[in-house]
Amino acid sequence: MNSAAFAHTLQSWFGVGPLWAWAALSAFLVIFLLALPFGGIATYVERKVAADIQDRVGPNRVGPYGILQFLADGVKMLAKEDFMPAGADRFLFNLAPVLVVVGACSAFAALPLGKYLVGADLNIGIFYILAVTTLIAPGILLGSWASQNKWSLLGGLRGAAQIVSYEIPVALSILPAVLISGTLQIGLIVEQQGWAWSAEGLQQYHFWNGFHNPFTFIAMFLLFIGGLAETNRIPFDLPEAESELVSGFNTEFSGMRFGLYALAEFCDVFVMSAVVTALYLGGWHIPFVNIEGLGVTLPQGLVVLIQFGVFLVKTLILVFVVMWLRWTLPRLRVDQLMGLCWKGLTPLALLNLLGTALWMWIFKGQSLAQLIYGAFA
Amino acid sequence: MKLVLFLSELLTVASAFVVALHPNVLYASIFLLFTFLGVAVMFVFAGADFIAGAQVVVYVGGVTILILFAIMLTQWLYQMRLRDVGNKLVVPIAVIGLGLVPFLYKGLHQLADFVSKAPPPNLAAFSGSPKTTAIGEALLSSYLLPFEGITILLLGALVGAVWLARPK
Amino acid sequence: MLGVGGLLRPRRSATPQKVQAYECGEAPVGSAWIKFNIRFYVVAIVFIIFDVEMAAIFPCVVLFKDAVAKGTAALIFWEIFLFIGLLVVGLIYCWVRGDLEWVKGVMNSAPYRRSS
Repeated sequence: MNSAAFAHTLQSWFGVGPLWAWAALSAFLVIFLLALPFGGIATYVERKVAADIQDRVGPNRVGPYGILQFLADGVKMLAKEDFMPAGADRFLFNLAPVLVVVGACSAFAALPLGKYLVGADLNIGIFYILAVTTLIAPGILLGSWASQNKWSLLGGLRGAAQIVSYEIPVALSILPAVLISGTLQIGLIVEQQGWAWSAEGLQQYHFWNGFHNPFTFIAMFLLFIGGLAETNRIPFDLPEAESELVSGFNTEFSGMRFGLYALAEFCDVFVMSAVVTALYLGGWHIPFVNIEGLGVTLPQGLVVLIQFGVFLVKTLILVFVVMWLRWTLPRLRVDQLMGLCWKGLTPLALLNLLGTALWMWIFKGQSLAQLIYGAFA
Repeated sequence: MKLVLFLSELLTVASAFVVALHPNVLYASIFLLFTFLGVAVMFVFAGADFIAGAQVVVYVGGVTILILFAIMLTQWLYQMRLRDVGNKLVVPIAVIGLGLVPFLYKGLHQLADFVSKAPPPNLAAFSGSPKTTAIGEALLSSYLLPFEGITILLLGALVGAVWLARPK
Repeated sequence: MLGVGGLLRPRRSATPQKVQAYECGEAPVGSAWIKFNIRFYVVAIVFIIFDVEMAAIFPCVVLFKDAVAKGTAALIFWEIFLFIGLLVVGLIYCWVRGDLEWVKGVMNSAPYRRSS
């Protein structure tokens, strides 16, 4: 299996140990080397982006251009006094942030960072990511309950209702990509979005899934919007509602517990952006270039690095758009939010799914690009 | 690898005991969440990866939220000591539960052994996700009637639930 | 991570003012409970229905591409169409009857039947 070679590569480098140990290690490595630093740096980037949009400077004291701000924040959070509101349930209060972080960070293990660089290329890859990110909803709910604060509880209930509702459009928008690729394994889904040009012309690979047919194009946007709602970002951040419910469901959390919530939110944003990138924007593929089919054989390390870089660039562009939207759009009211989900996105996503299936059936699975090429060739 | 399976079984059984015996309904539902997670891990070891994912998506993401909503919105349950009679049942429950555990343990370990020693699936025959594809094929051919029957059932559940929730 | 925090924290100094639930700086009013809202429950139920549907659709969708290659795509398309279609009918029913409204009232429900 090409795409899962990370564990195999590790095992061949070190020569010892069963495969499953290396697979577990590779999954852990991805989580710790990617998720946690990203969470920290994302807080800094968010503040800088916010500052830019609001025409001010943002953090610039700690380190050059303020880049070490997130480390300073981390130390501050760890050192903060740990108190809980009176009557708060100690077990739940501690459990909730853990659930949320586990949910957000475990998804990293299945992200396709490169052709040979997948933490754990599962057979049910995309379904696993969907499953693991549903752990966030009970975490938010329990945290808001444990705070013994009726505003937190309200925020938490709304938050859970929102996350849970928007999972339907998200799952339904993932399905067109699965339809086209015929597999749940993310590594294979991304591989099939390559651009392989040969003497006969466009091969069975089509261009990025987002441009496969008009329905997947819409599905890409639906997935992105659903992802915004899943992660409680503006315009869907009513559960956090900075100006309404103080801080919504995480009002009573301070110090590291709050840090964990923030980390989980940024990690979830990354996961959602990565999912959109992998499923619809070609993952690690460079547009119009088949890096392994070039005339010259590049060393595998370089290929891995380039693919990882491309994937990161695409994902980070989407993360930047998410942050950009935060400071641009107003917040949706809760009934608008729910109405949008059930009366707007869900029917649209269902239509997309049926439309993609129809397209696949009628045109025998060819993409728009292939059809146009076929018409002119 | 067997250690992970054993730990997940321990988690599932212990959580199930807490669900059955804890006086606080909210704690019971949280440990129900852990039970579901443990079951999902056991599904993975039994070779049913898609079912494990479906378990987490539907049960952890859906049923747990539903139960938690129900508990949190009817807050007087939180103070109600529902388990005052439960103390008499602790011993029978523990005996029955612990008595069943060895059978389940043996069965699950045999299945896990069988699955891990089975020949790897012929990946060339499927385009990835072989087990999921197999489930799909079964659903759409041999089990088509139950598949469409699920739809009717879900439709009935949907209509019934919103009917009950309607303001009078 | 929480353990590391435990090592670095200052000694606990919780005063009564600190542990009161925060309510925009005002003293907390009333008990910490909220009124029952059935709409959360309705949303959760509708979600579960569609979640189960979605979990059942996933395996069918995965084999669609192979079916296209084999030529049995029409059958599978109609089966999936039927499956989704019935649930869309349910969704439309709920929509029309006003059950999907967040701020629900007797005014929003369709004026067909009122019990009483």
